[in-house]
Amino acid sequence: MASRGFASEGRRVLRDPVLLGVIVVLWLLLALFVLYPLTVLLVRAFSDEGRLTLEPLLGSLGDAGHRAAFFNSLILAATVGVLGTLLGFLFALTATRTGLGRRWLTLLDAAALLPLVSPPFTTSIAIIFSFGPRGFISHHLLGFDNVSAYGFVSTALAETLTYFPFAYLTLRPIIAAIDPNLEEMAFSLGGSRWRIFRTVTVPLAIPGFANAFLLLFAASLADFATPLILAGNSFPVLPTQAYLQITGMFDFKGGAVLSLMLLVPAAVVYLLQRYWVGRRTYVTVTGKVGQRSRTRAIAPWASAALVVATVMVAVSILYFYALLVFASAVVAFGANNSFTWHHYAVIFTEGVPAIRDTLIIALIGMPLGGLYGVLVGYLIARRRFPGRQAMEIVSMINYALPGTIVGIAYLIAFNDPPIALTGGAMIIVACYVFRYSPTGIRATVALLSQIDRSLEEASSSLGAGSGETFRRVTLPLIAPAFFAGLGVVFIRSMTAISATIFLVSLSWTLITVRILENMTEMALGPAAAFSVFVIVVVFAVVSVLSAILARLRTATAGAAARSLLGG
Amino acid sequence: MAPISIRLDRVSKRFDHTVKGEVYAVREVSLSVAEGELLTLLGPSGCGKSTTLRMIAGFEEPDEGMISIDGRDVTHVLPNQRGIGFMFQNYALFPHLSVFENVAYGLRVQGKPAAEIARAVGEVLELVGLANYERQQPHQLSGGEQQRVALARAVVFQPKVLLFDEPLSNLDAKLRVEMREEIRSLQKRVGITTVYVTHDQEEAMAISDRIAVMERGEVVQDGTAQDLYYRPASEFVARFIGRTNIVPARVLSPTEVEVEGVRIAFSSGLAAGQAVRLVVRPEMIDLHPAAAGSSGVAEITHHTFLGEKTDYQAKLGALSLQATASDHYRKPVLDIGQPVAVRFHAQGIHVLK
Repeated sequence: MASRGFASEGRRVLRDPVLLGVIVVLWLLLALFVLYPLTVLLVRAFSDEGRLTLEPLLGSLGDAGHRAAFFNSLILAATVGVLGTLLGFLFALTATRTGLGRRWLTLLDAAALLPLVSPPFTTSIAIIFSFGPRGFISHHLLGFDNVSAYGFVSTALAETLTYFPFAYLTLRPIIAAIDPNLEEMAFSLGGSRWRIFRTVTVPLAIPGFANAFLLLFAASLADFATPLILAGNSFPVLPTQAYLQITGMFDFKGGAVLSLMLLVPAAVVYLLQRYWVGRRTYVTVTGKVGQRSRTRAIAPWASAALVVATVMVAVSILYFYALLVFASAVVAFGANNSFTWHHYAVIFTEGVPAIRDTLIIALIGMPLGGLYGVLVGYLIARRRFPGRQAMEIVSMINYALPGTIVGIAYLIAFNDPPIALTGGAMIIVACYVFRYSPTGIRATVALLSQIDRSLEEASSSLGAGSGETFRRVTLPLIAPAFFAGLGVVFIRSMTAISATIFLVSLSWTLITVRILENMTEMALGPAAAFSVFVIVVVFAVVSVLSAILARLRTATAGAAARSLLGG
Repeated sequence: MAPISIRLDRVSKRFDHTVKGEVYAVREVSLSVAEGELLTLLGPSGCGKSTTLRMIAGFEEPDEGMISIDGRDVTHVLPNQRGIGFMFQNYALFPHLSVFENVAYGLRVQGKPAAEIARAVGEVLELVGLANYERQQPHQLSGGEQQRVALARAVVFQPKVLLFDEPLSNLDAKLRVEMREEIRSLQKRVGITTVYVTHDQEEAMAISDRIAVMERGEVVQDGTAQDLYYRPASEFVARFIGRTNIVPARVLSPTEVEVEGVRIAFSSGLAAGQAVRLVVRPEMIDLHPAAAGSSGVAEITHHTFLGEKTDYQAKLGALSLQATASDHYRKPVLDIGQPVAVRFHAQGIHVLK
């Protein structure tokens, strides 16, 4: 747009007081909770007594321990990326190509989605229960004594099982959308099944692979909880080192520098994922489903092998969760397996403050996050105003950054006047809202791109101002995105730890932080009970939201699609 | 003459084209619409007619020029403060609201009392023939019914001006004819000033008091359907409105021209020897069987019998002429290859400037 367009956009916004007000308020919030903390973090890391310097960074790079943490982080992320993508592909292929019955598919989905709604230590706890010194598998089944469940292998295993659902969710629609007719055509042309798989199916899924790998890489890079429990001293990684630097040595600057070493790989991965891979999908969704022909592109024996492998993985995940439930209800797992309600009694007495605080924070953050996501998404997708693209980018920053960076930035920025917020609930709420609402923003943008602009123009021509149009027309139509965004904020408020561990205080704490404390005190029973509680609550809320979404879909989204797409 | 309701004074709208740079979507368009009049903006796609309409509505803002409605300068007024009813090509019914709530929308925004809204909505639904449809959802309606709801919604709050953006293009041919007659009769009954955009010249001629033909962002001619048909200002208008022959001719004298050896008594008032181009509509040419070989005799190259008329193509020297005959109930259809004498009806002929 030329400067003339800029000026006329500006003039239009100035004449619309509601729009102008919303834009100004959102920018103030983004400046305060996204730009300001990040700036303070950078200034703290790169200045020394008022002058700009690279010394802290160079010093950190010179430290062999820190360098090791950096490379450990990359190795771990790459390993998790590869293994998780393969596992996700296995699940996706089994779900779409072997003709499994509905009930089996439900089992697969449950196994794949459980890790997504669980608090961060769930897999770690289950791995300790299975493979620790008195682990169910290592000790009771195999009879080993004093095995170590800590280190690279267990960390990579736990993260792979925790994050592979991202790969599954990315790859499944892509493989499902590869027309089986394409494979069958190749088959009818005389290609062998293996050849078709190699030359048709896999190449078409390549953008999906790249996308899945990058998502997993980023998730592992930013993961704080798993390595904190499982990596141990032999395998330090950046997020945990930054945490220890701050909580152990009260070295804010050192923590800031360490967290910033995460920034470069995280930013590279994010940009690759968003602007390169994200735009390369060969598979177009036409909406024309046709009959699902029973594909013959996979040989019966291969199909059977896929099913067996997938079901084994799914069963082991379910086994982990069963173990967690079991451990929450016995006196001392592995030593005294008699039933008790004791751990639940503990979390509902001593644990009540954490539960109450977490729920209060989640319930405050939920509507705020939902509304914020829908507002920003609407402005980005529908309104022309100066600074629109900048707003889109800034709103994604906290989402794209590893939680450790965001947490440390908030801690440093809001610890002292002029804006001292640490210790309160508000800073935790703000952290969740600005970190997890981008899901809602993206959902809103996606939904709005399917809703014709003429609806808003119609409302406008009928006398409604921009605020009234948003309330009466746009908001009801993007309600699905609102509830989706709100759900994500709630789930993350219940399960996240990487950023907010830096923000809890004596007066406001979180369940996830209590789980961590229990783990370090070796109080595994209460930790398991807390985890079960979180999973149950999240599951209940997600069920309610899904029910609402399903109703909305029939009432508006479906109708919208029918009456708007081409009349 | 009724007072002017809508006035556009040298209105321009530019946009940045990735390849061509800055281009005019609308260029120095001046128009006026009298109170109660129905003006159609007619032109091919991309001619700027929709952009012009959207500027009247306020959805787009002109880069230059002035727009006024009822004497008030609205060039920079937001659409919701203009008091216009707008009909969209895709109807733009609110999918989450019932028919009643769709129609009531404008009144609710104005904060009218519930009883008044119920009465007004009931009346207008009756007017468009959709009484008892209040509780239906938009997706349960047929295309024609959706159209009527959109129309009811646009007129219920008695706007000063009604704007239509290709409202019939999503309907099938038969319904299109029906709906355009309904729109026209409703518009006349309510007496509301209307601007109507279409690319369909037949629709434009059927519905309009006046038609402004647009080409590449500019209004090239503005007049009644008969003006445009019989006295087109350019070859573009001549070809866009109806079927036509553009025939090169030579002026023999101020009262006679010659086309491929055929002399036509026609007072052009032009000096002898000039080369001109004539607009000759197919129905202004008569073809009669004749002996081959003489000058001014053409040959039938194509014929299409359509019942009420027959379309011919005839080759006259280097010219290929379109002609129409509507009297085959009393004389035989001419055969392909048959030599025919060509007679031009001088009254209808128009000289292109």
